[in-house]
Amino acid sequence: MSDVEDEPQEGRRLSRRELLKKAGVGAAAAGAAGATAPFSFAGPMKFKGRWLKGDLSIIQWVHFVPAYDDWFDKTWVTQWGQKNDVQVNVEHINNTLLDTRAAAEVAAGSGHDLFWNLHPMAAYEDQVINHASIIKEIERKVGPYGPLAKASTYNPKTKKYFAVCDNYVPDPVVWRHDIWNGIDEAPFTWDHVRKAAPKLKAAGHPIGIGQSQELDSNMALIAFMMCFGSFVQSDLNRPTLNSKNTIQAVNFMADIYKTGEDAEIFAWNPASNNNYLYSGTASMIFNAISATRTPEAQNLPFSKDLWIWPIPHGPHGRLGLEHVMGCYNIWKFSKNKENAQQFVVDLCVNYKQATMASQLYNFPSFPGAFPYKQIRKVAAADKNKPSGKYTILTTIAEKYTYNIGYPGTTNAAMDEVFSKYLIPQMFAQVSQGKMSAADSVKSINSQVKDIYAKWKARGKI
Amino acid sequence: MKSGWRYNAFSYGIAIPFAIVLAFPFFWMAVTSFKPEAQVYDRTKVWSFHPTLANYGFLFHQTDYLRWIRNSCFVGGMVVLITLVVALPAGYALARLSGRVGRTMGVAIFLTYLVPPTLLFLPLSRVIAQYLHLSDRLWALVVVYPSFTIPFAIWLLMGFFKTIPQELEDAALVDGCSRLGSLVRIVFPISIPGILTVVIFTFSLVLNEFVYAITFISSSTNRTLTVGVPTDLIRGDLFNWPGIMAAILIPSIPLALVYNAFLNRFIAGFTGGAFR
Amino acid sequence: MTAVAAAGGSRRTRLRYIAERRGFLATLLISPAVLFILALVGVPLVLAVYLSFTDAQAGSLTGKWVGLANFRNALHDPIFRGALWHTFLFTVISQIVVIFCAGLIAHAFIRNFRGRWALRFFVLLPWAAPIALTAIGFLWFYDPQASIFNWFLIKLHIVDPSHLPNWLGTPKAAMSSIITVQAWRTIPFAVVIFLAGISSIPQEVDDAAAIDGATGLKKFWYVSLPLQLPIAMVAILFGIVFTATDMVVPFILTNGGPFNSTQVLTTYAFQTGINAGNIGEGAAIALFMLPVLALVVIGMLVFARRAEVT
Repeated sequence: MSDVEDEPQEGRRLSRRELLKKAGVGAAAAGAAGATAPFSFAGPMKFKGRWLKGDLSIIQWVHFVPAYDDWFDKTWVTQWGQKNDVQVNVEHINNTLLDTRAAAEVAAGSGHDLFWNLHPMAAYEDQVINHASIIKEIERKVGPYGPLAKASTYNPKTKKYFAVCDNYVPDPVVWRHDIWNGIDEAPFTWDHVRKAAPKLKAAGHPIGIGQSQELDSNMALIAFMMCFGSFVQSDLNRPTLNSKNTIQAVNFMADIYKTGEDAEIFAWNPASNNNYLYSGTASMIFNAISATRTPEAQNLPFSKDLWIWPIPHGPHGRLGLEHVMGCYNIWKFSKNKENAQQFVVDLCVNYKQATMASQLYNFPSFPGAFPYKQIRKVAAADKNKPSGKYTILTTIAEKYTYNIGYPGTTNAAMDEVFSKYLIPQMFAQVSQGKMSAADSVKSINSQVKDIYAKWKARGKI
Repeated sequence: MKSGWRYNAFSYGIAIPFAIVLAFPFFWMAVTSFKPEAQVYDRTKVWSFHPTLANYGFLFHQTDYLRWIRNSCFVGGMVVLITLVVALPAGYALARLSGRVGRTMGVAIFLTYLVPPTLLFLPLSRVIAQYLHLSDRLWALVVVYPSFTIPFAIWLLMGFFKTIPQELEDAALVDGCSRLGSLVRIVFPISIPGILTVVIFTFSLVLNEFVYAITFISSSTNRTLTVGVPTDLIRGDLFNWPGIMAAILIPSIPLALVYNAFLNRFIAGFTGGAFR
Repeated sequence: MTAVAAAGGSRRTRLRYIAERRGFLATLLISPAVLFILALVGVPLVLAVYLSFTDAQAGSLTGKWVGLANFRNALHDPIFRGALWHTFLFTVISQIVVIFCAGLIAHAFIRNFRGRWALRFFVLLPWAAPIALTAIGFLWFYDPQASIFNWFLIKLHIVDPSHLPNWLGTPKAAMSSIITVQAWRTIPFAVVIFLAGISSIPQEVDDAAAIDGATGLKKFWYVSLPLQLPIAMVAILFGIVFTATDMVVPFILTNGGPFNSTQVLTTYAFQTGINAGNIGEGAAIALFMLPVLALVVIGMLVFARRAEVT
């Protein structure tokens, strides 16, 4: 086989047998599947010159901050792969398609070694390994797992860590200081927001809090509810949706919609509130800082008027959610579990680099890796106007960010409520005048109760 | 024969408005594709803007777009081949040789379309990954797609073969041809229009498929057109509208041209061309 | 023939004899297709049916048997009942529009006239373009901020700029939007099939009708329409089936739409089975249409056979 001689052998010498075996396997696969090397469909050999000891396949989203993916793919993965002698393949996929791919991989019983999703996949608890050892390993090096992350990835009933959270993203409000100034208001509390709503809309700059079947609406509305003391579940993971507070919250938001928002909020996808802001229309949205980074990058005229604040204060307090909770899972059928575990450990331990690469979008779930004080210093040094605007992120991360399902833990039932977009439905039905708040809450609550009963019967909560 | 001008008025009166309505979205897509990305939301620049080719350049140089097109063509071509090879004999057999059994089988084959792929992809993904070891290979699609192109092709061909008079084949048999021989030497050449039809419909079915393509294919280099565009041109927050519009236009226009060219022969086939 | 065979002729002649038998040849020719379909459609279908009777979760292909519980739960689920109704609306209305428009267009294109080739090109475009991409294109077309459609409506003074219709965000508008897009992309397909049907009417029939004095509308109703029925039936059937089982348009445009008002069975099955992880329930929802559609299809085929003019 002439190709054996043709391989430049730098550094590591492979036994002839290994090479022949790989070539043989390749040829057999080519024969069976009919794809041959010259066509790129077969997937070209990604490494030249060296056969590496192991493999690792990772799938994660297309990051909202392109700089992060650049760093991840070109710097981090390459360096890690070389250091650990592992051929790493990273696939990026649109975030809306991650769930589909997870289901397909489980059904197929084969897939990527390391699967990242932007919410903890509690429903897949039985299909993944127990990640406790990974977390302990990281804790040994940088200190404890953040309480937010732990509440999101730990099942107290089965005592299993069903994922490792590597990062979370604080969810501030992004608002147009110039427009709000013009009407002498600021979003300190939700009452302020409600008062300002009609004036903002009259000025041609409505508020933009979505009530659609998508991620941003889910996050914003659940957080909004929490500020009113309305929770989907209790600290014991029992459903508690139907309450006076919930009805009050739903009515409050319906008010804000009627006086201060546009009907388009019912047809949004995760990018819509950003576009609403970038077009100059929105006076306030709920979004991670990708909403400010893009105007900075594109030099939009109002980019220095975009302020970042924590979620407004409600009657029950100031409680926010994370915008995205990045979690790595390792399937039970993963072929390269050790490599996957080592990768996650190394990434979390060195998370400072990741946070910097994401321009402060990703916050480490192990705070020890990049303490808040240091993040604040970096944020203060950020050159964008108004200066120091990003320092509030650390405050939000430290004080005002809770897990989905607070005061309980994130579990499969909560995940299902989330994935079925029941909360945005509950709000939208009332805002569009289709039913009263009490009826809407009641009907959604009965669906929630069914979901919780189902998962309780399966022993997961 | 209707009088000339009245018929023409009818034709133009119907065809032109419909053509405008059906094709307008593409016209708007073309306009958008030439706009600089920062201006797509600018209400003052709806029609007046400086056109740019930057979006097309982006498609060709900074994404795997050309590769996706190649992948789609590869899958489309292979699936067309497989479909023809399997459906031609089956269509003939059902049209000619099987009488009532043939009709029932025809209906049964059609019933396979009632199964939505929205969930079929789950058990299929196991088959692809574990039994066939074709994960992340375009061959996975090549193997799976005929499952919905073959039934349709059989239906088309059944209807088509029925318009070929039995006398033609009987004449060949009388002349000493075997049944198989008459099939190969007489019937198939006449059925070229039918074959072209199957090619068009099959190719369009393949290109329109989305669920299996997203499930079985992982890496960006192996993606087909339908998957590559939503995943790589939509970065979560940002829809690259001009890029997406350009991505849609580039395959559509040649395809429509080809379909249009085939259409005459396709219709000729249904009018039993050889005997006019 | 038997004499030749009985004469213990060469193996070649015996094989030839076998190949002459209709039944054998038919089976031989059909079997690859049947095998393909059984393997890639039949087996997963059986598995899907099995799953619908279990409580399988999260991608798993096995689960505990629960009998008809999933189907019962679905019927009690208000969203499911809504999805059933929306699927019906979506399919029926879009196909009525398709048949009507495609019929007109096909008749317009039958005889050659100047510019037919170009006009036909424009009509074919919606079908030539991959639907997953054009659906995204329609997101842009209906974009709340930059919709060119709204732009025209404003310029024609049909709507007021401060009360722009939200094409994808209010229940009725969203429903009409997905129906429109589905009709838009199916019309060229139906036109092609209709063209084939009309062309297949033999010239003699036309001449005979003219001799008998039947012209125009009368001819259409008594002569052309019955002859076109078989092939029209193909277009209608495939249109109905493709629309009822396809999820791309509602999924991309509205994802079930303002609080489930454009949820159709396929998207709801997907959301339940994949996003929420309830494989068993999702399978039950997806399979719900199967018996209904089967009845519709068989009914139409029987009707077509009776009305067929040979």
